[in-house]
Amino acid sequence: MVPMPHYLILSALLFAIGAAGVILSRNLLIMFMSIEVMLNAANLAIITFSRFLNVMDGHVFVFLVMAIAAAEAAVGLAMIITIFRNRGTIDADKFNLMKW
Amino acid sequence: MTDQNWSILIPEIFLFIWALFIFGLDLGIKRKNPKILGYSAMAGLTITGILLAIFNGGILFKGMFQSDQLAIFFKVIFIGSAFMAVGSSFDIASEKIRHHRGEYYGLILFSTVGMMFLSSASELITLYIGMELTTIPLYVLAAFYKDDKLSVEAGLKYLIVGAFSSAILLYGLSLLYGLTGTTDIVTMKINLSLVFLSYGKIGPGLILAMIMVIAGIGFKLALVPFHMWAPDVYQGAPTPITAFLSVGSKAAGVVAFARIFVNGLIAFASDVMKPLDWGIIVAILAAAAMILGNITALRQRNIKRMLAYSSIAQIGYVMVGMVAASELGIASVGYYMFIYLFANMGAFTIATIFNDKTGSDGIISYSGLSKTSPIFAAYMSIFLLSLAGIPPLGGFAAKYLVFAAGIQAGYTWLVIVALLTSVVSLYYYANIIKTMYFSAEEPTIKIHPSFPANLVLLISVIGIILFGIFPGPILDWALESAKIFAF
Amino acid sequence: MNEYAAVLIFLFVGIGVVLFTFFLARLVRPSNPYKAKNQNYECAEPPIGSGWIQFNNRFYIFALIFVVFDVEAIFLFPWAVAFGQLGLYALIEMIIFIVILLFGLFYAWKKGVLKWV
Repeated sequence: MVPMPHYLILSALLFAIGAAGVILSRNLLIMFMSIEVMLNAANLAIITFSRFLNVMDGHVFVFLVMAIAAAEAAVGLAMIITIFRNRGTIDADKFNLMKW
Repeated sequence: MTDQNWSILIPEIFLFIWALFIFGLDLGIKRKNPKILGYSAMAGLTITGILLAIFNGGILFKGMFQSDQLAIFFKVIFIGSAFMAVGSSFDIASEKIRHHRGEYYGLILFSTVGMMFLSSASELITLYIGMELTTIPLYVLAAFYKDDKLSVEAGLKYLIVGAFSSAILLYGLSLLYGLTGTTDIVTMKINLSLVFLSYGKIGPGLILAMIMVIAGIGFKLALVPFHMWAPDVYQGAPTPITAFLSVGSKAAGVVAFARIFVNGLIAFASDVMKPLDWGIIVAILAAAAMILGNITALRQRNIKRMLAYSSIAQIGYVMVGMVAASELGIASVGYYMFIYLFANMGAFTIATIFNDKTGSDGIISYSGLSKTSPIFAAYMSIFLLSLAGIPPLGGFAAKYLVFAAGIQAGYTWLVIVALLTSVVSLYYYANIIKTMYFSAEEPTIKIHPSFPANLVLLISVIGIILFGIFPGPILDWALESAKIFAF
Repeated sequence: MNEYAAVLIFLFVGIGVVLFTFFLARLVRPSNPYKAKNQNYECAEPPIGSGWIQFNNRFYIFALIFVVFDVEAIFLFPWAVAFGQLGLYALIEMIIFIVILLFGLFYAWKKGVLKWV
């Protein structure tokens, strides 16, 4: 069996990649994909703990998180369509009408 | 299936069905009677409140859903803030969002259901789902004027930051789950103590988990340094939604924070537990929130932005009670949120009415309001003075209690910071009052709120004055609700 | 590192199967390219313009509605697997769940979202 730290390291790496994607990318779609990566990294961590500690709660948690991620993605896509119609761009740097 | 006492879930179920009903009603009535949707949303919230008074006190789904005093206390705040947000939306509903009224009111109710679940969650899964059910409708609501560039931008910023923070929160929760092997908060508390007693230390995993959970909830609370989104979103979103965000969603974050930290991780809130002491981290963040929020609010020219920075500062005061992590601390937080509900909703309601009439959010355009609409100028002054904490209004008692809890817990330096920044805050609150009363400019604007908005304002004013002079009943209730944490 | 051997084998077998089928197809098929055959497929019409165009963003709206029912399957699947033990209680719960989702679809339909404007 693959030892637990390996899964956790993978999950931490995925989380870091996702976080970096959100912070560094300027494209809204890529930012959203990065957020999905972060959520799935957390899912991987939860399922790992659930498996190695032999408690089932984690499985349920992951199911629900997946549903929530889908809801978030749906709202996010809708929002991107709206802002694309509104401004004609999805470059995050262009959305700076409000400052200070 | 033996311990199932379904009746305690009735308020939530009712409100959810009512929200679906409002969606359906919107399809049915088309656009014949614009006000009926708003009134039925208000009626639904009132009935939910009554149901809450009848069906409460119990545990469902093996402790996943708890209807205890703390939950009920905060549920009243959520229902109240939704009621007031709906009440102040009648004017925009008849014009700006004519084609989507059902969605607007329905989503407010969905978000309220999420908050109610969140406050009842004594377990991480329910807590996370409640939090998402609270925020996802709010993303949509913030961007509700879909032809208005500011509103869509606000919604998008809120969505990106909100989704990002919820991912961080989830990772933090997964670490807590991994460290304790349970999602139940009380079992988590026991397991953590057991691990701590047997090994003497828990190590970096717990620190990381705490930081991530603080960051995740801190984003929802707009706690410094996770506050960057708040001014933009508050400015761009429809004003009733801003009000709802600043009260309902914040109270939801507060109750989530209380459940996780003040209940689950209470053992780590003391000096001896360094570096696992979350109290000091939160105290520093609270001090930063009070300083930054109040000082930045000084230079704002837009009333919604000013109230955004003021609400960032207010959450700093709330956190003073939270880090006290005592019965008085939690009770003072509850009381503070209760008064904050009236004061902030009232101030935003005036801003909504004013914006509907003039299309402007600039503080300068309030000049001379006292001559044309003396009642509303007086209302606004009461709300602002309560936010500043002037006796005998509710805000004074709230601040007094929070500071007392802070001193009792030994955070004297934090209370001194809070006192000093309160003085600063008085300046910008008083500035608006000065503009309304002593401006040389000729007044032109007279505001006529709709009946529900008037009702909201009246409730807020009465609430502030009544509970300011007689804090007894609410405070007793808050103390009662704080008992569930068994300090 | 033995645990990873399985992962590695799985990876290679996965890649191998794909490559092998491509290779097999190349062996047996006749090769006769001409212009009409290399064109993009566009509902049997002669294609207009390039295949590399931006999709109309109306497609996204249908995708959004699809997502709702896509994710529903997550909850349906474990329920279906354990249906025998769960019984009537879970059946009613699941019906309520699906009715709520169908209400969403109905609402979108009535609001005219499903029309191609």
